[in-house]
Amino acid sequence: MEQYAIEMLHITKKFPGIIANDDITLQLKKGEIHALLGENGAGKSTLMSVLFGLYQPEEGTIKKDGVEVRINNPNDANDLGIGMVHQHFKLVECFTVLDNIILGVEPNKLGFLQKQEAREKVLALSEKYGLRVDPDAKIEDITVGMQQRTEILKMLYRDNEILIFDEPTAVLTPQEISELMLIMKNLAAEGKSILFISHKLNEIMEVADRCTVLRKGKYIGTVNTKDTTPESLSAMMVGRNVNFHVQKTPATPGEVVLSIENMTVASKVHKNNAVKNVSLKVRAGEIVCLAGIDGNGQSEFVYGLSGLEPLVSGKITLCGKDITKASIRERSVMGISHIPEDRHKHGLVLDYSLEDNLILQTYFGPEFTSSAGFLKRKSIRDYANRLIEQYDVRSGQGAITTARSMSGGNQQKAIIAREIDKAPELLIAVQPTRGLDVGAIEYIHKQLIAQRDAGKAVLLISLELDEVMDVPDRILVMYEGEIVGELDPKKTTQEELGLYMAGAKRDEVKA
Amino acid sequence: MLLLIQYTLIFSSVLILVALGGCISEHSGVINLGLEGIMVIGALGGALVMRYCNTSSAFVMVMLSILAAMLFGSVYSSLLGVACINFKADQTLVGTALNLLGTAAATVFVKALNTAANPDDHSSEIEYVRARKMFIVNIHGFEFNWFMLIAVIAVIVVAVMLYRTKFGLRLMACGEHPQAADSVGINVYKMRWAGVLLSGALGGLGGICYILAGVSIWKFENGVAGFGFLALAVMIFGQWKPARIALAALLFGLFRALSNTYIGFPALAALNLPSNVYNMMPYIVSLIVLALTSKNSRAPKAEGIPYDKGSR
Amino acid sequence: MKKALRNPGVQAFIASIICIILGLLVGYIVLLFINPEGAAESILNVIKNFFTWSKPKTQLKQFGNTLAKTMPLLMCSLSILFAYKVGLFNIGVAGQYVAGSCACLYAALAWGWSWLPCLLFAIAAGAVLGAIVGFLKSYCNVNEVISGIMLNWISLYTANTILSKVKEVASPYTMYINEVNPSALLPNAGLDTLFAKNKYVTIAVPLALLIAIAVSIVLNKTRLGYELKATGSNKNAAKYAGMRENRNIILTLVIAGGLAGLGAAMLYQTGYMRWECTQSSVPSMGFNGIAAAFLGGLSPIGAIFSSFFIQHITDGGQYVNTNFYSSQISDLISSVIIYLCGFVLFIKITMNNILDRSGEKKMQKPKAAPAGSGKDGDK
Repeated sequence: MEQYAIEMLHITKKFPGIIANDDITLQLKKGEIHALLGENGAGKSTLMSVLFGLYQPEEGTIKKDGVEVRINNPNDANDLGIGMVHQHFKLVECFTVLDNIILGVEPNKLGFLQKQEAREKVLALSEKYGLRVDPDAKIEDITVGMQQRTEILKMLYRDNEILIFDEPTAVLTPQEISELMLIMKNLAAEGKSILFISHKLNEIMEVADRCTVLRKGKYIGTVNTKDTTPESLSAMMVGRNVNFHVQKTPATPGEVVLSIENMTVASKVHKNNAVKNVSLKVRAGEIVCLAGIDGNGQSEFVYGLSGLEPLVSGKITLCGKDITKASIRERSVMGISHIPEDRHKHGLVLDYSLEDNLILQTYFGPEFTSSAGFLKRKSIRDYANRLIEQYDVRSGQGAITTARSMSGGNQQKAIIAREIDKAPELLIAVQPTRGLDVGAIEYIHKQLIAQRDAGKAVLLISLELDEVMDVPDRILVMYEGEIVGELDPKKTTQEELGLYMAGAKRDEVKA
Repeated sequence: MLLLIQYTLIFSSVLILVALGGCISEHSGVINLGLEGIMVIGALGGALVMRYCNTSSAFVMVMLSILAAMLFGSVYSSLLGVACINFKADQTLVGTALNLLGTAAATVFVKALNTAANPDDHSSEIEYVRARKMFIVNIHGFEFNWFMLIAVIAVIVVAVMLYRTKFGLRLMACGEHPQAADSVGINVYKMRWAGVLLSGALGGLGGICYILAGVSIWKFENGVAGFGFLALAVMIFGQWKPARIALAALLFGLFRALSNTYIGFPALAALNLPSNVYNMMPYIVSLIVLALTSKNSRAPKAEGIPYDKGSR
Repeated sequence: MKKALRNPGVQAFIASIICIILGLLVGYIVLLFINPEGAAESILNVIKNFFTWSKPKTQLKQFGNTLAKTMPLLMCSLSILFAYKVGLFNIGVAGQYVAGSCACLYAALAWGWSWLPCLLFAIAAGAVLGAIVGFLKSYCNVNEVISGIMLNWISLYTANTILSKVKEVASPYTMYINEVNPSALLPNAGLDTLFAKNKYVTIAVPLALLIAIAVSIVLNKTRLGYELKATGSNKNAAKYAGMRENRNIILTLVIAGGLAGLGAAMLYQTGYMRWECTQSSVPSMGFNGIAAAFLGGLSPIGAIFSSFFIQHITDGGQYVNTNFYSSQISDLISSVIIYLCGFVLFIKITMNNILDRSGEKKMQKPKAAPAGSGKDGDK
């Protein structure tokens, strides 16, 4: 019989109105890398919460090394040697790497910290597994990749045997991803058992030995990655065959809609400028993608373009009109629509109803406000109902649903409906598919292409390589606040794109 | 001049103690706006001991009244803990309620006490002339108050606690990123309770120190005249760091002391400004200081946000 | 029945009633501890307030007094709740109230202005103070609670200094408006006759009620209210939508300050009270406004009733048996009520949970397994 490090057998977990896990079995062998694949809402995080004792399942058992165990809280999981790198790192930003690693298991004498021995252990571990990181650096000063290594060291410092990685590659550069893959293989070779949660098929195919697939809370199956293909994994995950490649006709670019000359935007985090001397043009009827690794100035670029932050220097022209000094409102009225990066922070007023969110960009116009300053409730309701129908926004109570209670995909659909229905000249879409499942992603890509085909200019800002390769007509790569390359998605490869994104290759680009 | 230094030091001591209380609470993630009320209740606890304890030993008296003040302060602060930690109430609202309740409860209590002793006495005053002397050592006209020493010790103890101990590391983790603390098995609710109770003890200590600063009789109807909030301003100006809080407190203490002593300075007395101007000084200074320094202030990230284990 | 209990308005009402009952209970227990003999009678007197008088005419007159003092309280609570909807805790309401008092009294007594200019001047004074807080908040990132408190004390000492110029020689109180400048008194417009010739019942009463309704309309029906509440709920989204956050914060506090200033005029310009130029604590009207705002479920209409209630028991405090108790017992009760208001959210959640559970029990019989209608499973 196989030796399993951890077994979750026939786990069922119900919430009011939904069965999040329905008879799910997951068996992790010693020393293997086991992928857990599923869309958002498939039940992956519920299953992990059960493993960490955050939820108690209604049915099913958990076995460690063949012995049944009860896990009532995260401490129990920790005692069993289970550790996890969360998708959103659980690191205290103003603490040092070392403080974060020892937090919770501090070596101490009479309550006073003894950091020296901890430091030695951390240095030894980072040596052994090739996890380079400065133990005295503050988290807020180091790169995302290093933060992730800190999280891994946290698990190793606690001598965890079972390591769970929750969507670990979402925030990394292609080069950092291959480094991580190497680290994971090292860890497995040293006898650690790894559970790798992901929905990126290539990565699973590359690094995992076996893969368990969940769909809508149900167990679909476990396969050896050697014996399968990405296509069949995807079919297991979604329940049907999906188009990997976005269908579109060649673009027919027209007039220049947006022209940016030498734009420079200051950074809020450090003293240097986040965007340096960027020039680019977007024409009607084309999708231009600004690609790059997170934190290379894309957010600040969008803030400068939409008017959320002032420019240090440069000029922005929209349809021939200088809008450099225009306010956010003026830009919006002149024809800029903006699907923001963070829908909860910028895109929605979560406590407002769906209908009030749908008029967030247009509430002040005569259509919704009377000359005396009163809101026209009836027009708002009619308008909201039309959008809900047209864009298939689903919610519990229709127009009066609180935005907070809607699913992420439908919140994003609402934002897209609002921004597209404004009939903009220029649509700025910043990571429009982040955190969404395959169905919603497909839908959003279709909408972007429909806008292009309707003769609008579309500027897509994306971190997802697949999206960057598939959706746009032109790719501009941003690295450390500068545009370092222009690529044709039909001609380039992911590898070449990765080199530009990592700053290893650059051209002189003149827009 | 000596008098000015004396008052500066004693008022600074009050501000240091209370601001450290606020600092600990905020590092744990709870904004303690109820310090004003906690001071009143702490002062009440201390004053009761000073009034009714008949010991002749100065040491026993000082210790007992300090303990009473700390005990009253932390018991009272548990009202904040229950509401804000366990029931996730609005911290601003509850803090405000504690301030109002502190003064009202102390007044009702002291009046009832006085009336019970003497049916014609409806005042809200407690007198402690004898006990106050025990707190003070007269050094050539300079009234050294033991609280000056206690404040210095408190700064050192709190600094060591925050930066050198396991408890401090965990406390600050709860104020910065409670989900992270929880994920490594730290009980966020417990740590926040610890933060609130400690801030109550320090607030109570500050309260008793405040009523001992210049007078030997205290009228509880008056509360503590915004000192709890001045202490919060000191804390912000001190960037939530004990050593800086001590320096900030000296500055604020100086301006507060001026209103007691400006008559002693011929130059100031000659200006012939109404005494109200000096009364206003600490508040005006704090407003200006806050306006100049708040832009870059770095409060604990998760302060003011109730921690909910469910939402991860 | 179930449906009515789900209504947020009904829930707010029930929660407030629970707070009131518990608050009074605490007050009663405190009285019992002090002296069990007269406790029941005294707490009843607090609740009865003017009904403790036997003659209907006196009752009516005292009712008028309570009403006259309710209106400034209502203004303060409107000030609080208006700012709160925009995400600001306007604890500076007390100072704005002081500024209003100072402005209208000085204008009336020193300059001999008539009532309307005095009233407007009071509004302006409160608004200026609010603007300072708003400015500090939006341009200097100063927490509005701290700056509000500092301004409370600054305005108190300023008012004491300024109003000393119009005080009586023999007392610390300002001169009587009705002796120096009767034109500054708010007109009665015949309302006094309804309250047994109580001259303190003035046009302030209908004016305050109208303003409460107006605030309600502005918040719920207008573009301004939509903008302000969006700013309060998510200032980043408001900025993204092109709303001017800084302007909205300042505008909100200007309005809130104006309301508080107006409240002060509604009290001092009836002649009911005079300013004591040696007072060493900020008038409690502003802080009671916090109680009224939250007790009224943060609704302007609710605030009308809660303000009356708070003023009712505050006045009732003077009818306790002063041989044993002090009138501050009503301050104690109202501060306990504010404290309990912190639990309102919890009360509402509990109510919904109870409703859910009893609902589920009924549902369970016809339908065993709940169908997939969850938040994330709707695809």
